[in-house]
Amino acid sequence: MRRAILLWAVACLGLGLGRASADEITLPDGPGRDLVYARCQTCHDLGYLKESSGIPASAWKDILVTMYGFGLRIPDAEKAQIVTYLGTYLGPNPPPAAPAVSTADAAPSLNGGKLFEQNCSACHQKTGKGLPASFPPLAGNSDLFLDRLYPVHVVLNGLTGKIEVGGKTFNGTMPSFAHLDDARLAAILNYVRGAWGNAANAPAGMRPLAAVDVKGLRDQKQTPKEVHGLRASLLK
Amino acid sequence: MMSGRDGEFRFNRRQFGLATSAAGLALSMPGYLRPAFAAGEDSAAVIAGKVSGLIIHNAKLGVMETPLTLLRQHKHTPKEILYSRFHFPHEGEAAWYDTIKAPDFPDWTITIDGLVARPRTVKAADLAGMEQVKRVSVLQCAGNGRAFYAAKQKVAGGQWHNGGMGNIEWEGVPFRPFLEAQKLLVSSGAKWITAHGWDHPATPEGSSFAKSYHIDDPALDNAILALKMNGEPIPAAHGGPVRLIIPGYYGNMNVKQINTILFEAEQSPSVYQSMGYRMPLVPVEPGKFGANDYTLTNSVPTYGHKIKSAIFSPLPEDKPGAGAVEITGVAFNDGRGPITRVEVSSDGGKTWTDAEIEAPESPWAWYHWKAKGTLAKGENTLISRATDSLGRSQPLDGLVWWNPRGYEWNGADHVKVTV
Repeated sequence: MRRAILLWAVACLGLGLGRASADEITLPDGPGRDLVYARCQTCHDLGYLKESSGIPASAWKDILVTMYGFGLRIPDAEKAQIVTYLGTYLGPNPPPAAPAVSTADAAPSLNGGKLFEQNCSACHQKTGKGLPASFPPLAGNSDLFLDRLYPVHVVLNGLTGKIEVGGKTFNGTMPSFAHLDDARLAAILNYVRGAWGNAANAPAGMRPLAAVDVKGLRDQKQTPKEVHGLRASLLK
Repeated sequence: MMSGRDGEFRFNRRQFGLATSAAGLALSMPGYLRPAFAAGEDSAAVIAGKVSGLIIHNAKLGVMETPLTLLRQHKHTPKEILYSRFHFPHEGEAAWYDTIKAPDFPDWTITIDGLVARPRTVKAADLAGMEQVKRVSVLQCAGNGRAFYAAKQKVAGGQWHNGGMGNIEWEGVPFRPFLEAQKLLVSSGAKWITAHGWDHPATPEGSSFAKSYHIDDPALDNAILALKMNGEPIPAAHGGPVRLIIPGYYGNMNVKQINTILFEAEQSPSVYQSMGYRMPLVPVEPGKFGANDYTLTNSVPTYGHKIKSAIFSPLPEDKPGAGAVEITGVAFNDGRGPITRVEVSSDGGKTWTDAEIEAPESPWAWYHWKAKGTLAKGENTLISRATDSLGRSQPLDGLVWWNPRGYEWNGADHVKVTV
């Protein structure tokens, strides 16, 4: 154990910086939480939400209107879900924390495309083309096939640092999506690997991801910078 | 009380010693670059060059507050500890301002356009050759003190206490003479001057950052296009290479990374001008006036600092003993009239004494003050309240100015210390 801590500390030293906070902030579990994770972190992290917890539901509703001015473009139905979640779980009288329920059992009917739209499209766009200079494209992104499990590391832990995709440089931070369960993450990644012509780039014999692949890496907690390091080592 | 010297940086050894020893590491890294391994959140990892131990309100936006135990140590607030507030993620092509190093943009220009017959583009490098003046001014986030509004009704956003401010020496080119020298031939239809910064939102649908000022705003008479902060090129995180500094105005009015100045008939449509950073003209009530009820006629932008004071010592962290105590702090306003009085109480407002006020470095700088008080066993409430020559004073209960976006807190400062 002590050795593990030392190794971790040395790894941090090597990287020069400790872990930034953005990926550490979690919100109470409840319906609509994942939508908040997916939609609100394009422009800011969840620190503001956490710090604002306790404001009235009406104030959360006002915030969604305010955020339109700051660029939030989501369907009304999603807005309603987010307002309900925030007004309930980050409102003045939040319900007691519910026991953790695994949603992995619901796996059979998972629709990777829909999950992608719900969780990833705010930044990477429905077209998978990303946004120039801000969010890298997934369409035609060769990182998807660096090795079979590399994208799993990214969605579980996030990624930060300078990367080059399709000849363009990006230097952003993707948050962790570890709040999504194993089956959902696998479904999303399989979708992305097959969409927008990406399937043609898949190395022969690379098997689709299964929930168990995600599960196997979930406990191997990495910082977004470490994932950046992993990427560099795979590119060599 | 003032123990720091200008330009010299000191950190709280106890605080950072703890952070490093918790990781079982004895590091010999230089001063403030020491990362805090123990905590998950490390302000030094949010903006390169900042110390560990700042209060992080939003890492992705680089929003961080200075603990008063650090802030009070310096006459001029060093870049390593100064609060920071970006409006957009400091990532991607914006990653360059994610550091307290000076940005390296030799070709930076400022374009002056709009209702002028002769639009101009001026090189920042040429600014350096012009007459430079110094302005010591408090830089303060308009949201500083937002957390105190929660006593009435909590408002959304970063819950700042008193650490969203600093006392800074700026240096640069006087703004109005600079504009006059450009011989722009401004149209009589121009009523507003709008300043745009380089920064821009994460998505194309977002609103770009801009601030507008009345063309004849007297505060602009003191404004400078600043190139230096505390004697050095302005750090990227604090608005370098060029920042518009309007002494006495809230932080957001001092546009960072300024690259465009427009003369216009109307104020900017940016939501940062039309909806954000505004104060209702009259007091409003929670539930009756919401965050989106601001109009150009029922509210005004957060221009000049409301008169304010803050207690710097003793703080709860000082663990003072019972008996006589010297209470110290700072006061400031928008510079329109000097601070003439700071009243201090060490018994929750039952008795008051006038503080001794030091002459400030400038009309817009911190006024340091000190007063004698007495601490009893148990909980003591210290209060400070400033008044200026124009008769403006801090409300004893700052909640009278509650507003749904939580700006311009200036209630008499209350600090509770337990002996």
